[in-house]
Amino acid sequence: MANPVLIGQYVETHSIIHRLDPRTKLISLFIFMLSLIWLNTGISYIVASLFVVMIVGITRIPVVIFWRGLIPLVVILLFTFVYNMLFTEGTVIWSWGWLHITIEGLENGVRLVWRIILLVILAAILTLTTKPLTLAYGLEKLMYPLGKLNVPIEQFSLMIVIAIRFIPTILEELERILLAQKARGYDITTLRLPQRVLAYIPILVPLLFTIVQRAEHLSDAIDARAYGKGKGRTSYRQLQWQSIDYIVMIIAILIALGLLLLNIMKI
Amino acid sequence: MLTFNHVHFYYKKGQPIIEDMSFTIHPGEFVAIVGANGCGKSTIAKLIDGLVLPQQGTVQWNTLDTSNQSELADIRRQIGYIFQNPEDQFITTTVRDEVLFGLENIAVPRAEMEYRVLEALQAVQMKSHIDAEPHQLSGGQKQRVAIAAILAMRPHMIIFDEATSMLDPRGREQVLHIMHKLHQQGITIVHISHHMDEVLTAERVLLIDQGRLVFDGSPQSFFADIPVAQYQLQVPFAVRVHQLLQLTTPVAPQWKEAVQTQWSINSNR
Amino acid sequence: MERGGSDTMVYQLQQVSVRYRDHHALQDISCTIEAGQWISVIGQTGAGKSTLVQVLKGLIPLFQGEYLVDDQTVATDAKGKVKVRPEIGYVFQYPEHQLFETTVAKELAFAPKQQRCSASEIQQRITAILPQVGLTEDILELAPFQLSGGQKRRVALASVLMMNPQVLIVDEPTAGLDPVGRTDMLQWLQQWQQQENRTLILVSHHMDDVAQYSDEVLLLHQGRLIGQYDPVTLFIEQSHLLEQSGLVLPESIQLLKLIEQCSGQKIEIDSCREQDIFAKIIPVWHRKEQTFG
Repeated sequence: MANPVLIGQYVETHSIIHRLDPRTKLISLFIFMLSLIWLNTGISYIVASLFVVMIVGITRIPVVIFWRGLIPLVVILLFTFVYNMLFTEGTVIWSWGWLHITIEGLENGVRLVWRIILLVILAAILTLTTKPLTLAYGLEKLMYPLGKLNVPIEQFSLMIVIAIRFIPTILEELERILLAQKARGYDITTLRLPQRVLAYIPILVPLLFTIVQRAEHLSDAIDARAYGKGKGRTSYRQLQWQSIDYIVMIIAILIALGLLLLNIMKI
Repeated sequence: MLTFNHVHFYYKKGQPIIEDMSFTIHPGEFVAIVGANGCGKSTIAKLIDGLVLPQQGTVQWNTLDTSNQSELADIRRQIGYIFQNPEDQFITTTVRDEVLFGLENIAVPRAEMEYRVLEALQAVQMKSHIDAEPHQLSGGQKQRVAIAAILAMRPHMIIFDEATSMLDPRGREQVLHIMHKLHQQGITIVHISHHMDEVLTAERVLLIDQGRLVFDGSPQSFFADIPVAQYQLQVPFAVRVHQLLQLTTPVAPQWKEAVQTQWSINSNR
Repeated sequence: MERGGSDTMVYQLQQVSVRYRDHHALQDISCTIEAGQWISVIGQTGAGKSTLVQVLKGLIPLFQGEYLVDDQTVATDAKGKVKVRPEIGYVFQYPEHQLFETTVAKELAFAPKQQRCSASEIQQRITAILPQVGLTEDILELAPFQLSGGQKRRVALASVLMMNPQVLIVDEPTAGLDPVGRTDMLQWLQQWQQQENRTLILVSHHMDDVAQYSDEVLLLHQGRLIGQYDPVTLFIEQSHLLEQSGLVLPESIQLLKLIEQCSGQKIEIDSCREQDIFAKIIPVWHRKEQTFG
């Protein structure tokens, strides 16, 4: 199967963002995502958007890839917008029967959609600039305090690695099942989109079954390699904070505070 | 040294898989375990590595006992296990990470890791693929990586559980070649297989029938004394040739040499 | 209800090439597959064997070159893509991994349903086919995951037989089977093929099996067809082609050549089956015709 560029897959461009510690990216993006909550004026939206656009520019990743990441969301965004437009109380500017469009509705719709778009782009920045294993490792390190509370973070991290590892394999398996169906006279690609999605559902059953089988085999393989509970492992990968990491995190905090200020001052 | 002491095992009560099995495998041996499908040979492998525990009897590696939770880690460090399905034992996303996985598990110091990974991959001739991802590798290559992942942990014994069944002839040849090389280096090999030609290359054969050990001896006496068809096994080509041409030399995998030798003997009569 | 085609279909590929993004899976393949034979397709991994048989089946919608069935260009759809051929059954490697229905009965009914068969016709076929693959009716309401590996493989095979194929393509049918299972499978395939003169196309790595059962052999190497041969010609006279393609001679042929070498005598054979070769070797071995004392 031709290797599809999955939306959100790592794209190497050697930018500064790529070289950041994954923890920096996780923390900074998390802070920034949170700060999207207190966007409430035109200027704050513009500031936030400019910042996101700037980061996208720094990553040197072609914009078209981000665009592709947004396409699957068109339906959701449209729905969100229309829903808010029609069902928010306020000053009616147009009506037809029992459908009203309010100014507040339009505003809310635009705000929500805008925020969702910013969120998705931020998430994409994370996955496009960080290799999955590195991300998993960064997560594991960040969850260290939870580990002290006996939460099995090492096992959780291994789960993520295995999930990433098996996605291509499972996709190949899906292809093989579809080919086997085609060989028996049934071509799923002849169906139009809504029916096709439904037609995929029964195939999930054998896929799930082989996934369970694999899980059993994997579990044995992991045990046989002396994994134990995952505690006390040494690690080859090393993460080291560098000055650029501190700088970026400070910038993220400053931007977040700035947006909060704009919120408080209602600019 | 591995010892099975009157081991009984079942998954479901009333359906015994292994019945009263006792044997010892000595350091440096090359042992083949054979039997019909469902005879219990894979279960023996799992019992050896403590992946399942016997309801009765003990499985001991040197002084360690598999039923002792705290000793299992040590057992698994010293006994490597290669599974049948190359896909389902490749845990991580690259060859390097795969070989590192075991080293991290046994807490090898970071400074030693790089060296051990390269050494292990060199032994299986997969060093050039160190950054490859599993879906880029053939079945045989994945099995070799699995062997490297075990080798890096410096095992004393390696179990090959039908490790060649899902490979094409080339992959099978590569794995068998490595198996014998490791044996020459002193690693104890337990080879579970239904490929009878591979059995001929072992030093010792254990035949399992319905959970019981029914034969323990050399491959030569195995093929001479046991009616293998009765156990759903086949006679390897070398043995068929031996029987057909009435060769007087002992049965060995190298049938061509045996044939030539016999021809000379016959000519000089 | 669409029946499998005429009894004497001839499949012809003329200079067929299949290209994927970065490599040629098949290059300039020209061959003729005639009905009623056991044809084996051999070659190293990556030589193009599976691609070749998938072209025959119609699973590859676009390719360069001509594909003729009974001297007529193969059926295509409105966009010019080749249609999947219903008279050819295709059993993939490890077919048990592709069972996707919730019960065995539904799995078996899948193919004839696509062919618009009536429920009674489907039931009739199931009743006829189950004993052929060594299964009984109590398996019908079970889910595939409740079956053993061997049973699953038989169900997968039966599901393809439900199409009533005149041609059966089997890709490494003995993969993962133990020796007895392998022999059973191959002998079953031979029986199926010899009944009603059907065509069997085997894709395999096992030269011993190819020598034992084939009427004809197609040798592929790096996407090209080296040639189409009967087993004796390929394994005896053209054995260097095999070696050049990275393959190993069947062991019985290796023994034959060794005996020829030892005795200095050429041994004529007309069949590559092991028992026939052994029969020819014995007299030479015992030197019934003494050439030197």
